[in-house]
Amino acid sequence: MSISLKRARAIFVKDYKEFTRNYAVSIMLIFPIILALLFRSVDPSVPGIFAVVLNLSFVILSCFTQACLIAEEKERNTLRSLMMTPATTMDVLFGKSSLVFVMSAVVLGIVTYILGYEPTSIWAFVAVIILSIILYTAVGTICGLFSKTVLEASLTILPVIFIFTGAPWGTLLVDDFPIFKVLEYLPSTQLVYFLEVRNTGFTMGDLFPPLLITLAWTVVLTIVSVVLYQRRLKDE
Amino acid sequence: MQFQPMYDNGELFLPKIELNMTSNQSIGIITDLKRKQLLMNQLVNYSEYYLFRAGQGEYMRLTVEELITFLIKVTERNERVALLMDYFALKEERKVKIKDLSSSKRMYVTLLRVFFAHQPTLVLEEPYFYLEEQDRRHFKRILDDLSKEKQILILTSNLEDAIISCDAIYRLNESGFHPLDIRDSEEDKQEVQKQDEANITLQKISTKRNDKVILFNPPEIDFIESIEGSILVHVGGGNYDCALTLTELEQRLLNFGFFRCHRSYIVNLQKVREIITWTKNSYSLRLNTGQDAVVPLSRSKLHELKALLNI
Repeated sequence: MSISLKRARAIFVKDYKEFTRNYAVSIMLIFPIILALLFRSVDPSVPGIFAVVLNLSFVILSCFTQACLIAEEKERNTLRSLMMTPATTMDVLFGKSSLVFVMSAVVLGIVTYILGYEPTSIWAFVAVIILSIILYTAVGTICGLFSKTVLEASLTILPVIFIFTGAPWGTLLVDDFPIFKVLEYLPSTQLVYFLEVRNTGFTMGDLFPPLLITLAWTVVLTIVSVVLYQRRLKDE
Repeated sequence: MQFQPMYDNGELFLPKIELNMTSNQSIGIITDLKRKQLLMNQLVNYSEYYLFRAGQGEYMRLTVEELITFLIKVTERNERVALLMDYFALKEERKVKIKDLSSSKRMYVTLLRVFFAHQPTLVLEEPYFYLEEQDRRHFKRILDDLSKEKQILILTSNLEDAIISCDAIYRLNESGFHPLDIRDSEEDKQEVQKQDEANITLQKISTKRNDKVILFNPPEIDFIESIEGSILVHVGGGNYDCALTLTELEQRLLNFGFFRCHRSYIVNLQKVREIITWTKNSYSLRLNTGQDAVVPLSRSKLHELKALLNI
């Protein structure tokens, strides 16, 4: 499976122009920033605020925009037409994902700056953010593949919002519902754990488990999304 | 190009079709919606066909120029955008977003995707359907240039659309797959027999359909065509078999204002609404019957027709 950077770049530029002119979707970019501005006035020492904003931003930015990009191409049959050009699956996915990645990274950078979060280990923090963006982009790809129109995409995203951003809250109910223990292994909960590791007296050992679990999610979901993408397009 | 036979409720719906495609020749198949879909679906899994479906959409928020640039880049061609915009005659719409174009222009821009196809065979569904006259001409020019290197198959339900740019036309319907004779051969000369001058006796044209003999008054007839040697009389959208030859019919109908406009066609001039000029060498006649019928007109017959109509 080869990637042609030239073709991927063409898709990147095309999607960038399409996306920035589609105000209904691109307005979502400001949403995490507004959220961050709102929460800034809250006592910054409250743990978990940053994690909540991040988790929401991932779903809104990476997941939703990627789902919209793919669903819109499907809606207009341009994806099918694109498959008949020399552009391969990887070109298309790479071009689109890199656009979503860049946008997410920039907005999350701004959010982190506004909230004034100081990571315990800058490298581990960057790594976990990058992995999460890729992971949620893959989820977005899957959502996009299962929806035929942009409207459907915004609906299929709802369960994702519910499960992923709700998971950290669900873990609070573990005592009543032991089944909720599963939620601890969701990447969003792991992100909360990761961010809760405090500056004072942390060891690398505390940071590694969340990082590894997130990595596992990323790898699995990326593979699933690529395989599904090829399958779904053949079916149609 | 080969199509497998398909059955619907035990009846042959799509016969086995073998097309000998050569480059520099485009083929048109006139058929209905369902058969069009079936034909397209048989080609989906082959990488040598570029399929352009009627429902193809476009990136609405790009400008025309951005779209062409994208298509050039994604297909890794080495053309210059400015030159292509000239070639496509889209200079004025350069900065217009696709969604702001007129629907005909938008369809035309969408159709340009076939220009960038790398596959050796292009299959187009209803390419001319939504196009206005001017865009039709532009697209016909582009298709003609493309057909120098590629094989082109056009699926349409409209004879007129097929006539625009096809060299060979077939009709596919419940009675099977038959070639239509639209070739424009000039050396084709029929022996014109001497006309019976005082022939004003009642002339009914007898036709057959489902073993019934049906008689038509000549003014009722829209046009008569010859398909693979059998004569079909078209009346009000339906067609009826006739045992006479075209030459015989021509003689009998001459006094009723009929005209042999083509080797295989006789048309009722009273029903002709429009003479359509596609290029210098291809013409057709549009009739003002209930259905939008179009009949080819030979170049050699054009002068005769003009003289007849005093134009």
